[in-house]
Amino acid sequence: MPMLIDALIAALILAGAFFLLVGALGLAKLPDMMRRLHGPTKATTLGIGALLIASMIYFSVARGTFSIHELLITLFLFLTAPVSAHMLAKAHILRATQEREQLPPTGQPSGWATLDDRRSDGM
Amino acid sequence: MTLLLVVLIPFMGALLPPLVIRSGRNTCAVATGGVTLLALALLMSHAPAVFSGEVPKAGVDWVPAMGLSLSVFADGLGFFFAAMILVIGLLVIVYARFYLSREDPMGRFFAYLLLFQGSMVGVVLSDNVILLLVFWEMTSLTSFLLIGFWTKRADARQGARMALVITGGGGLALIAGLLLLAQAAGSYQLTEILSRGEMVRASPLYLPALLLVLAGAFTKSAQFPFHFWLPHAMAAPTPVSAYLHSATMVKAGVFLLARLWPVLAGTEAWFLIIAPAGLVTMLIGAAIALFRNDLKGLLAYSTVSHLGLMTMLLGLGTPMAAVAAVFHVINHATFKAALFMSAGIVDHEAGTRDIRRLGGLMVLMPVTGTLALLAAASMAGVPLFNGFLSKEMMLEEAAHTSYLGLDLLFPVLATVAAVFSVAYSARFAIGTFLGPVRGDYPHHPHDPPLGMWLPVAVLVVPVIAIGLFPGPVAGPLVALTAAAVIGGPLPDYHLALWHGITPALVMSLVAFAGAAALILAFRRADALRARLPRIDAKAMFEASTGMFVVGCRRSLVALHDGALARYMGVTVATLIAVGGYGFWSATHGAGTRPPLPVTATALTAFLALVLASGGVLAFHGERLTALILTGVVGVVVALAFLQFSAPDLALTQISVDVVTTILMLLALNLLPKATPREQSLAVRWRDGTVAGLAGLGVAGLAYAVMTRNGTSISEYYLTQSKPGGGGTNVVNVILVDFRGYDTFAEIIVLGIAALAIYALLDPALKGAAVRRIKAMLPRTESRDAHPLLLVVATRVLLPLSLVVGAYIFLRGHNEPGGGFIAGLVVAIALIMQYIASGYGWAAERMKVDAQSMIGAGVAIAGLTGIAAFAFGRPFLTSTFGYLHSPVVGTFELASAMAFDLGVFLTVVGVMLLSLAQLSRVAHRVDPSPESREPMDVQLERTVPRTAGGES
Repeated sequence: MPMLIDALIAALILAGAFFLLVGALGLAKLPDMMRRLHGPTKATTLGIGALLIASMIYFSVARGTFSIHELLITLFLFLTAPVSAHMLAKAHILRATQEREQLPPTGQPSGWATLDDRRSDGM
Repeated sequence: MTLLLVVLIPFMGALLPPLVIRSGRNTCAVATGGVTLLALALLMSHAPAVFSGEVPKAGVDWVPAMGLSLSVFADGLGFFFAAMILVIGLLVIVYARFYLSREDPMGRFFAYLLLFQGSMVGVVLSDNVILLLVFWEMTSLTSFLLIGFWTKRADARQGARMALVITGGGGLALIAGLLLLAQAAGSYQLTEILSRGEMVRASPLYLPALLLVLAGAFTKSAQFPFHFWLPHAMAAPTPVSAYLHSATMVKAGVFLLARLWPVLAGTEAWFLIIAPAGLVTMLIGAAIALFRNDLKGLLAYSTVSHLGLMTMLLGLGTPMAAVAAVFHVINHATFKAALFMSAGIVDHEAGTRDIRRLGGLMVLMPVTGTLALLAAASMAGVPLFNGFLSKEMMLEEAAHTSYLGLDLLFPVLATVAAVFSVAYSARFAIGTFLGPVRGDYPHHPHDPPLGMWLPVAVLVVPVIAIGLFPGPVAGPLVALTAAAVIGGPLPDYHLALWHGITPALVMSLVAFAGAAALILAFRRADALRARLPRIDAKAMFEASTGMFVVGCRRSLVALHDGALARYMGVTVATLIAVGGYGFWSATHGAGTRPPLPVTATALTAFLALVLASGGVLAFHGERLTALILTGVVGVVVALAFLQFSAPDLALTQISVDVVTTILMLLALNLLPKATPREQSLAVRWRDGTVAGLAGLGVAGLAYAVMTRNGTSISEYYLTQSKPGGGGTNVVNVILVDFRGYDTFAEIIVLGIAALAIYALLDPALKGAAVRRIKAMLPRTESRDAHPLLLVVATRVLLPLSLVVGAYIFLRGHNEPGGGFIAGLVVAIALIMQYIASGYGWAAERMKVDAQSMIGAGVAIAGLTGIAAFAFGRPFLTSTFGYLHSPVVGTFELASAMAFDLGVFLTVVGVMLLSLAQLSRVAHRVDPSPESREPMDVQLERTVPRTAGGES
């Protein structure tokens, strides 16, 4: 296996591990729910993505055939991770009633979808 | 083989009437009659052989290991009874065609009748005692259906129930009796048993076997003290009464005594038990019959009496008496069926069966009247009719019988019974047909259509023919049948009208004189009877069954109180006790196999498992937390499967876990968020102790097993998977091939479980439950129940998941996967649509309903199994070949794949059905508008601003 590819794989693994660590730290350290959500959804997804690409390159080179599994996993992950983050955020908006006042305006005629009180419908 | 068909044809033909009833009632009756006629013709094709002394046999093995074979034989007795059942059956079918009204479901009636006919023919032709028992029970069941045919009538239902309990209970005793008999004789084949009479009578099992067989025979043939069910069975339609309760079914007991006569008869016990039972039944039946005002009631008790007569004759144990019994079976079947049908005609045309409201019908319905009078004369034993001949023989036998030194007991009581018998016959004839014409019949009586009186006429022909020329007409048949009953040389007898002045003739004359006196003094006798205390058998029966029901319910409630903790406690405690006994009463120790090294991964997984389990214990009050922690257990188990090279199991475990969690979440939605507080500390300690001991036991067991190198069947599976099942995925090959039977049963169980969930949740859809759930749940619903992001993502994922499902399914035979996992994956994908887009939206687009999917799955799996029969292989034998496809690669096309498809469909159906029912409950509790658009909250751009938004 060429040195260059080895280096690439190593770099990807390191980057992946780094982002996973950052995500985990974020989940543990950030002060409130909305901010903590960033950790496991954004940083971790990125970290796992990097690891998967490393795996893809490794097995493609090692076996000589293109490894498609990781691509599929990445695809599914990138499809589902934002959705779960979105749903978590919505649940939080719904349940943390005392924090509702802090919600910024949507900048649209209708309010937040979760709470939608149709402020601007004029009805 | 045609003999076996005689038995099977009525069963197969029973499908016909419900199908052809749409083409009209005549077609239906013709079809039913045709079935019976076919069976009769096949039976008659054996007549020459039977009359020449041969015994035709036919049969195939059924469960040879159990001694059960589907074998029949037709000796004289079986042949005679089968012929009688089919001939009278044919007449009854014709009669029933005109008897049943337009409102009665005739197709169902004839179907039941044919089922009964088949069972009855089965009873009399069976060569195997177990087969006989099967048919015997079937006659009880079909009789239940026929008695309760008019389901709307309370007396019909009660009568049917009573008959089923009594005859069914007797049937249970008979099972034991015949098994003991088979044990004593060393064979389950009747033909064998019949030739081993000496051996059976010498066996210590003889007496218990005899008593149990008698319990079966006496209940079936309504012998005292079990006689009371028969009159209550008269709530059945009259064709049924004529067929089952006079001519055939009630004679099954008599048949059984005759059948086993060569084996069981001739001992002290036989004579001492059966003869007096028959005598008492004959007497009591006749006495009660006299005072019955209901025509059918009178005939029913008369039947009881005549059955007693036959039983007594068989009980006497002499060959001569056996001949008389057989002769009377023939005679009784003819005149009694004719009388029942006549009573039905009277009921039909005059509108009542009450003797006190009838009389003088001879003038209004001369044909029926003539036929009924002839039959009644035979029942009374008037000379020149067949009833006279067999009754003479009975009296002759009774005259020579001495019971325990009492020389007069039998002659006197038999004569008294004959007095009553003549008297009730006279009352039937005079009260109904003779006397002055009345003006107050409920209907205007007139003769019925030809189809209704013709069967009666056909039955009356032998009544007279045998009466006049007994020797030529009935002689050969009686000789044939009696020879089969006796199983030896026939006694010297003559079927003739005139035997000279015999004791029997004197007794007959006494009977006629006594009866004349009794009829003249009927009012006084009736008044006397009214003063006697009455025993209401029905009330006693109802009271005792009521007590049984209450007792069962009490003991059941004590054992089965609905608390899961209790069942679990009892089950687990029992396991601990049994396991502990085994543990302490044997030597044990650790095995010799060295444990695997502890890796960091394994340790982490182990700790996660321990923490999650501990967490469930600590947080079990909060249901959501507990559910999530349980999920951890599932994941760790899946990892363990992966570690030990069982990717298939890991995949299954993960999918099952996901599906379970989703369904549990949906269910939790309808439950309180926390469990109620537990009971006292002591109870918790007790439960904890039981659980802890069980855990220790299981751990010890696992340790003991895992430290040993036991031999197991897995080696066989691993080597045979490819050559035997054509797949390299051993797990899948085991599931769909090696142990396909198990899987087939399991998917059926799964389907039933889903239907049970459906049914159990049904009450939650109703008013009170809905209100209760609603009150329990604090509701903070999101305004957009179907968020855009989730909706879009799940819809994008659906085709992807379906492809994954198809892929997993297709490769399942060789690589990890298979129908079960694919089913779970597809189910998850579909469930996600329901969750994201709402039940209404998804259900509308789901074109196949879950129930049909379950049914189709089970059917496909079953048909795949059956298909193997077509190639002469046993059920579920699989075959395979290979198919090359560009994308998936070479994959197997095994017949097991169709089976796997069945599994797949069942799994998907089960999941969707459970989910749909949960969703319906949720929908009832909190009806939210179904979404038509991709999301609930309107997007800014889709709302036309001018349409009235900003005013």
